[in-house]
Amino acid sequence: MVKFSAGPVPYVYVCTRMRVRKSKLIPREDYLRLLNMSIPEITRFIEETQYKKEIDELASSFHGIDLLELALSWNLAKEYQSIQDITPGVLKRFTQSYLRKWDIQNILTIFRGKAQGMKTGKIREILVPGGELDKVFLDRLLKEDSLEKIVEALRGQSIYPVIAAGITTAIEEESFAKIENALYKQFYENLLSEATSGFKGGRQFLEYILLDIDMINIRNMFRLRADKLPEDASTMVIPGGRFSIQDFQDLVSIEDEKSFIDALKSKVTLKPLLVLLDAMTGERSLREIEIDLIKVQLAQMESFSKMKPFSIHPILTYLEKKKYEIFNLRAIARGKEVNLPTDRIRGYLVM
Amino acid sequence: MVGEELVGLTPEMIEASQAGMKAIGAAIAVGSTGLASAAAEMAIGSAAVGATAENKDVFGLVLLLTVIPETIVIFGLVVALLLIF
Repeated sequence: MVKFSAGPVPYVYVCTRMRVRKSKLIPREDYLRLLNMSIPEITRFIEETQYKKEIDELASSFHGIDLLELALSWNLAKEYQSIQDITPGVLKRFTQSYLRKWDIQNILTIFRGKAQGMKTGKIREILVPGGELDKVFLDRLLKEDSLEKIVEALRGQSIYPVIAAGITTAIEEESFAKIENALYKQFYENLLSEATSGFKGGRQFLEYILLDIDMINIRNMFRLRADKLPEDASTMVIPGGRFSIQDFQDLVSIEDEKSFIDALKSKVTLKPLLVLLDAMTGERSLREIEIDLIKVQLAQMESFSKMKPFSIHPILTYLEKKKYEIFNLRAIARGKEVNLPTDRIRGYLVM
Repeated sequence: MVGEELVGLTPEMIEASQAGMKAIGAAIAVGSTGLASAAAEMAIGSAAVGATAENKDVFGLVLLLTVIPETIVIFGLVVALLLIF
């Protein structure tokens, strides 16, 4: 039987859909308007956008900030599922691998929530079942009453060995940071091996992974310097990117801010990042730096997706931008809930 | 030599051969431009379906964009008609 290849058609189809979806994301001007609204007004506003279905579904059972938070989480999870349904072949594989990041995030949210004695419903509101672990599985984990039982329920999952190895120490130290680092290291290791295993389009996926690793490492450098905890530096670095463990430690241990920025500039080649580092003069808060780094990463991803319009890039760019839209809306809603001044909330937005 | 090869051919045979060549030329003109149009429409069509799936309002516009490569096959058809008639 003759087999017909669809050629680039499925790539073109799905990448165009991602571009259209990206164009529907909330623009900067609307965020500025949202900053001046109350929570019911924000809810009404987003009901007129892509979130209508979720708001309508949940409006009878929830209200206020709970309604907003849950609607945002549901929408994001639904979006992730829908993208996995429409992406073809190897793009689907890459997308699923990328979305496993949410498994780590969800598990850590459950651990932290349970450790702090939060209510199950409140934890559920912020879970985004976009990865391998679906809503039903996460619900099962939420019903468990102890952290040990949650870990047991994870047996058979790819993240189980890392969690099982670190959970006792985490409970003793009352901190999940080490497990988090180990999980992310495993996650990026898996992504790197998948991108280099010879699948078509793997090179583009690798470009994204290396960018992501570098940006996380740079962010961690700034965080470590702000926390003044350089002794933990080697455990914080994610290997595989531009920075080796030694580079990372050397950079973190530089005490003078200007010398650190200069040393960092000599290590990176990314133009927007160099521009950002050049502009880093005077006192800047860690939050401002982190937001700027995210903006640089998004700008670079946008540029990748323009250079390779029918690859994994447009999908990942949309996924990242959608994620930050949800983060922004959540930041505005939470800020409004605790009556933070508008300028302060604006500082948390990626726009 | 060409002249020697033509020895033995009647004018009817030469005329028929010329008509055959024209027909082959016309077939190549229509066939190749048809394939070129198909290749161009393949990408545009799939993008058009993707865009319409997300936003139904663009249907009219993307339909127009999808048929633009049809001009290639129309050029081929014109060349074929000129060859034959």
